[in-house]
Amino acid sequence: MQLRPRGLTAALLISAAGAVPALASEELLKNTCSTCHTAEENGLSRISGQRKTPEGWMMTLVRMQQAHGLEISAEDRRAIVQHLADTQGLAPSEAAPFRYALEKDPNAQESFDEPFASMCARCHTGARGLLQNRTAEEWALHMDFHVGHFPTIEYQALGRDREWYKIARTEIAGYLAEQNPLETAAWTDWQAADKQPVAGDWVVMTDLPGIGEAYGKLTVSGDASPYQVSGEFVTADGTAHPVSGQMNLYTGYEWRANLDIGGTAYRQVLALSEDGNSLQGRQFDRSNDALGAPLSGARDGAGSVILGTVPSAVPAGEAQVQVVGTGLDGLDSSAGEAAANTYGAALTLAAEGNGVVTFSTGGAEGQVAHYTSLDSLKVEPEFTIARVGGGSEEGPAAVPAYFNAVGMWNGPDGEAGTEDDVRVGRVEAQWTVANAHEHAAHMKDTEFAGEMQASGIFAPAVAGPNPDRPFSANNAGELTVQAEAMGQQAEAMLIVTVQRFIDPPIR
Amino acid sequence: MKPLNQKAERVQQAASQGQMEEVRAMQTVTAGCATTFDPGWEVDPFGGLAALCQPMEADLYGCSDPCWWPAQVPDIMVNHPNWDEGAPNAAKDWRALGATYPTDAET
Repeated sequence: MQLRPRGLTAALLISAAGAVPALASEELLKNTCSTCHTAEENGLSRISGQRKTPEGWMMTLVRMQQAHGLEISAEDRRAIVQHLADTQGLAPSEAAPFRYALEKDPNAQESFDEPFASMCARCHTGARGLLQNRTAEEWALHMDFHVGHFPTIEYQALGRDREWYKIARTEIAGYLAEQNPLETAAWTDWQAADKQPVAGDWVVMTDLPGIGEAYGKLTVSGDASPYQVSGEFVTADGTAHPVSGQMNLYTGYEWRANLDIGGTAYRQVLALSEDGNSLQGRQFDRSNDALGAPLSGARDGAGSVILGTVPSAVPAGEAQVQVVGTGLDGLDSSAGEAAANTYGAALTLAAEGNGVVTFSTGGAEGQVAHYTSLDSLKVEPEFTIARVGGGSEEGPAAVPAYFNAVGMWNGPDGEAGTEDDVRVGRVEAQWTVANAHEHAAHMKDTEFAGEMQASGIFAPAVAGPNPDRPFSANNAGELTVQAEAMGQQAEAMLIVTVQRFIDPPIR
Repeated sequence: MKPLNQKAERVQQAASQGQMEEVRAMQTVTAGCATTFDPGWEVDPFGGLAALCQPMEADLYGCSDPCWWPAQVPDIMVNHPNWDEGAPNAAKDWRALGATYPTDAET
């Protein structure tokens, strides 16, 4: 398999902002890394035997700085990440199962078989390991790397009760070499595939935590990273939030953008589809990645596509709904009047009672529910964590948690909580928290752990020992998050825990 | 046998109530939390907080020096030797303990 660069030029790396790497990519890699990494048949030692995501390569370079004294400018570091992700990245299908880790989804839960679960995923996400492909030799060295860098790994629980190193070198390294080898058909095919240009107009839909469900349009311009991004997001009440910023595209599909949206810095971790016509991923507050939401996008004018509606559901009566998508001229709706606009089509409804309005055109289909009552409510996510923080200039900021209340109908069987329940959509709710159990009540967690805001965002309390608590305990807590809407109640579980002092792009 | 600390007491309670099966492993907690049962960094073996060291600063160096939560807390032994510089007492000097991943290292 050919892993060396294919015609990448310095032009690919030139920044419009003037942050120009000193050298073309391959030369830059050699100059930066060959002090320690020796030239071998296929490239530099260690490096040539691995493929990773852009985040994976960035974490490697940061480790080289922190552990091995590498001195490198931020521009050169990003240029090397671009080069390595482009030439030794992951195919879209290889990254797909683990995108939650790249997207920093705070609610993702993993489940792996043993021994991988307790050998690897007891400290970091399993995704962190499985978002890499290596030669068998490299996987074996990766086990040794862990013992060298974290020598007590064999003495921790789930390490000392087994022959950790033996299992790592034989079972785990072997499993990973088979599961995630350096050479795969997926990567060979992706390298050979025609990459679709990312520039152009995109219709997008997401949720801005604390602000509301939003749709918008992003215009991408430029020929190479960093691309320029401009446009706007619009909330259900019609408020526009202007967007401007830059986006880097890695491996032909990995979209990483830093955008100012209405005065707040956001980050997008998206994947461009292989046909170049859709985007999928997560957008989050750049300084607080727990505050985010899934984002979907469709290339403007690429056929008829419906991404969803804003709002996702409406109280019965007169309502304006934005059907978000593209190519929605002549949208045929089961009720109301539809008129195509720049974000899809505006749907004017005057619906009575509970029901669902369906609409379609050109093969694209969608629906929106209208309601006067709900049969049940659920809180999403059902379980998550928040972290205390702040209180100092050095320490990590608090990590909030973001909840939504979703209205449900019972469906044909007339019972709540069964498979035929109908999801109505997001509804406004009153939020409270309660102590999750006796111990939490004893510790008065609701008083100390933080505050639930009207927007469904839980803001954790400050870090540090609290002399007002027994044992000067931290402001940690175990809480039940309670939502109430239209006479229905629902709960979720929230653990407010301690800071994370190492918080890399892949946890 | 008499439990010596809260965690041991909780384990004893769980055993007497036939609840040992409810001890949850890492993968049932949000991805990326460390729950190695010593206890974990974010949550205890029961998926909660009751059996964790509190405040965590009281015992932070006792566990972070030897790299007990290598993915969450900087270890001073190998990878982040200067993390605790100027902060000899974590419970008093916790404000000096910062995050180690550089904020400018974004893709």
